[in-house]
Order: sequence, then C-alpha cells, then structure tokens
Amino acid sequence: MTMTNYLNSGQLPASFRDPSGFLFSRDGVLYRQVNQAYEREYARLMESGLYEKLVKARLLIPHVELDPSSAESEAAGTTAHKVIQPERVAFISYPYEWSFSQLKDAALTTLSIQKRALKLGMSLKDASAYNIQFVRGKATLIDTLSFEIYKEGEPWVAYRQFCQHFLAPLALMALKDVRLNQLLRVYIDGVPLDLASGLLPAKTRLNFGLLTHIHLHAGAQKKYSGQEVKSRSGTMNRQAMIGLIDNLEATIRKLTWTPQGTEWGNYYDITNYSDAAFQHKKELVRDWSMRVRPALAWDLGANNGVFSRVVSEAGSYVVSFDVDPAAVEQNHRQLKGEKAENLLPLLLDLTNPSPAIGWANLERESFGSRGPADLVLALAVIHHLAISNNVPLPQLADFFAQTGKWLVIEFVHKEDSQVKKLLASREDIFPTYTREGFEAAFKEKFIVHEAVNVRESERVLYLMETR
Amino acid sequence: MHFTPLPYLDPGSGSFLIQLLIAALLGLGVAVRASWSKIKGWFGIKPKADDDDDELSE
Repeated sequence: MTMTNYLNSGQLPASFRDPSGFLFSRDGVLYRQVNQAYEREYARLMESGLYEKLVKARLLIPHVELDPSSAESEAAGTTAHKVIQPERVAFISYPYEWSFSQLKDAALTTLSIQKRALKLGMSLKDASAYNIQFVRGKATLIDTLSFEIYKEGEPWVAYRQFCQHFLAPLALMALKDVRLNQLLRVYIDGVPLDLASGLLPAKTRLNFGLLTHIHLHAGAQKKYSGQEVKSRSGTMNRQAMIGLIDNLEATIRKLTWTPQGTEWGNYYDITNYSDAAFQHKKELVRDWSMRVRPALAWDLGANNGVFSRVVSEAGSYVVSFDVDPAAVEQNHRQLKGEKAENLLPLLLDLTNPSPAIGWANLERESFGSRGPADLVLALAVIHHLAISNNVPLPQLADFFAQTGKWLVIEFVHKEDSQVKKLLASREDIFPTYTREGFEAAFKEKFIVHEAVNVRESERVLYLMETR
Repeated sequence: MHFTPLPYLDPGSGSFLIQLLIAALLGLGVAVRASWSKIKGWFGIKPKADDDDDELSE
C-alpha cells in the first residue's frame, strides 16, 4: 500500500506492521479492525476475563465492538473479523516526551499486564513504549491486539523489546543522565543494548538485573548474532517466565531519579514578581479560560504546571509542556497525588519540537501535527524564544497562529530583570523587541481581545484569537 | 545508510538464549520462594545486588 493509499483509506500509518489488525479513522473517529487471523486471540482476551480485569484496573483501554451491519464494519476489508472502537485518547504522546517517572509508570504497567495475562493463559507479544498512553492520568495499554495465547515453554517474545524500550532508557536516565531519554527520539525501537551497556557506569554490573538484562544481554546479542537458534520452544517453563517478569519489575522499581539542584520544588521562588502579580495572572488565565472554554489547551513553557491547573479546572484537557525534565517530573508526581485526570505533563523543547519519525516519517507525529490546540498558553516564554533563540517576532506570531486558535501570551519587556539576565552576556540585536513591536507583529495574525497590565509588574498579558 | 556496523546480523538469537538462561535462574528463585513460604519475605526482598546473587546461588 502506498503512502497516499494509507491516507485515503483512513488507515493510520502507526499500525501498519501488525498482522492482527490496524487502526483507521472515519469522520474523525478512531476504529481498530481485528483481522480474521487474530480471531482466536481476540476471543480469548474477551472470554477469559482478562479484558475485563485489565480495563477495571485501568491498564487497558476500553472499547466497544461495532455492530457488523454498521457502515464502519462494512467498510472494513475482507480480512476483517471485527471492528472495535476504542476510547479516545485525549492526546497522543511519545516516550521521548515523558519524564522519568512517566516512562517508569509505563514500564510497570506493561509488566503488570503481562503478569495478569499469564494467569489467564495469554502473553504480550509486544512491549513497545508506543503502545502505552496516558489515559485520564494513568499509563494505559492502547493496543488491544497486543496479546497472544501463552504456550508454556515458550519464552517472552517481547523480552528484547521491553529491555530496549523501557529498561535501558530508565537505567540510563537514573544512573547516567536523565537527558538520555532523548536517545528514544533517534532509536524508534528503543535504545540498542550494546549502546546502553557502553554508556552505563561500570557499577551497574553489580546490580543483578542490569547485569543480566542489559550487559550480558548485549554481550549475548553480539556473540550469537547471525547464528540460527534451532528450537525456539519447550525450554522455558511458567515458573521461569514468572521469575523473569518479577525480576524485571524489581529491577525497574529500584531505579529512581530525583532531580538535584536549586530548581527542584521552587520554580516560582526564582521568579521576579510579587504574589499579587502572580495571583492577578492566575485570575486572568482563569477568566479567559472560562470565556474561551477550550476542549484542548497547550501550556507551552508550563514549568511545574501551576497555570495548566488553572485552565484544567475550567474543564479543559491541558497538555503541560516544559523543556526542563525536573519540571515535568515534578508536575507528573504532583498529578499522581491529586489524581487529576485532565492534565498531561510532557517534555518539549519549543526551539526544536518533536519531529515526525519512523517509516516514511509517518509512524510518530510531530508536535505541530498533533494540533492545533483550542487554546495556547505562552506565559513568561516569549523572551526565551525571541532573545535566547533569536526568533524574530513575526515568525513567533506565525508559529503561535499555527499552534492554536486562541492565545494567552505574556509579553516580558526588555527592562524586566529576567530579560536583562538574558541580554547580560550578549549584544542587544533586538531593536524591535518592544511592546509596540510585539503588538504590531502579532496583530498581523491575531485579533487582540484583551491586553492587561499585570498588577505590581511591568508585564502585559494578552488574549488573542487567530485571524 | 546503516548506523550499526553489523547490518545483517540479527540480535534476536542472543536475546533468546540469554533470556532462557536468566529465566532458568530466576525460575529457580521462584521455586525456592514457593517451597519455603516461611522464608519467602527474606528471599522476596532484594535491596542489594548481593541478595540477588545469594538467591540465585541457592
């Protein structure tokens, strides 16, 4: 099938590899075709009680089966067994956009599913991090067709994938550098184990789990590469399988990352404005969110998500982006305590947002193509983009106009102490970076509905709508 | 362009073999834990790598 055919048929390119079925979209609704080849496995999933158990534990996405006479079912090909409609995921995110604890939660969800599946005679045939999404705040498997019937004696077919997608990046993040999760952006099938083994500190060889699942695993891959393994069954009993899954789980539970340094926990202590200014900003954001009532809002430069929460309390689903792994981590941990369901913290460098990756650049979507949002929040962020990153104001206006319908943006002028810091070590080559210059540039793309001076500060908050 | 020096070699065989080996060892641990429920907690708690090794040497 060519690329155009994919798009015309509505079949989504993220699922082209799977012989069990595929995703397609019709009139904006997402469906999953279950192929005839997967009939037996699907029946086992549904009839064994596994589906119900997993959905109840919020480990698997719920779905409804479509009536065979419905248009969607009839549109399905001759290979179709059933068409199901999974619950809609509010925002698709990828492992290179997750904080440490988000990736860890996704890993533990995968293992927890595998344990429950084994008890009911099934096993995961995939352990891809891309099959996990955050659904109402919880790491959830979204690929209903990931299960196969477990045959005692067979090894875990997804073992290598699990190590590459979860264990290796988590170990690297915890024990080497948290920024190494960005390797996932390059290696779509997870971090190659020889690379992980080489990068991890030598002391990790004293950790049984990391020694075996990463270092020895990488060594074995090298040693036996190109050799055919004759019999691939009848050699690993159930007890061994359970031991393996338990050990992976224990190894992952022991990996922790707590950000160091002054940023942790006191983002808003290092800002330069007063409580009154902060409160005023919150009020404005709340009022304007209630007025715009966005279904989906993106908070760009969200820090630990204080303003994201203000918007989500107004009933929106908010994706809370920040470039700092510590901020995203803090946001996620706080969220788990609050049991908030309509907020998703993600890691994103606005100056180099997530690209489209994978086969034909179609498997994983870019940041921009997952939009536009109904409302974009850009608080205390413009000076970083315009001054630190040298993006001219008209191009910033373009970018924000493409990213969302409504925009709440804060202008931070040159006399502001934070901007002065940015300009301290460099020549001021930004003669148009003034309130007037900003407004002129943004009025090309936006209708300015509100422009309010923030109390006790020199900053200005705007509510704009794209033209 | 390949970024791996050995583009035709499949890492699957090594993954398969090492999994059997690790799982066999860990399976023993599961068996030991199941048999001696009295000392289950002692075997089940693995705060240090040394403890893992102890368990596996049983």
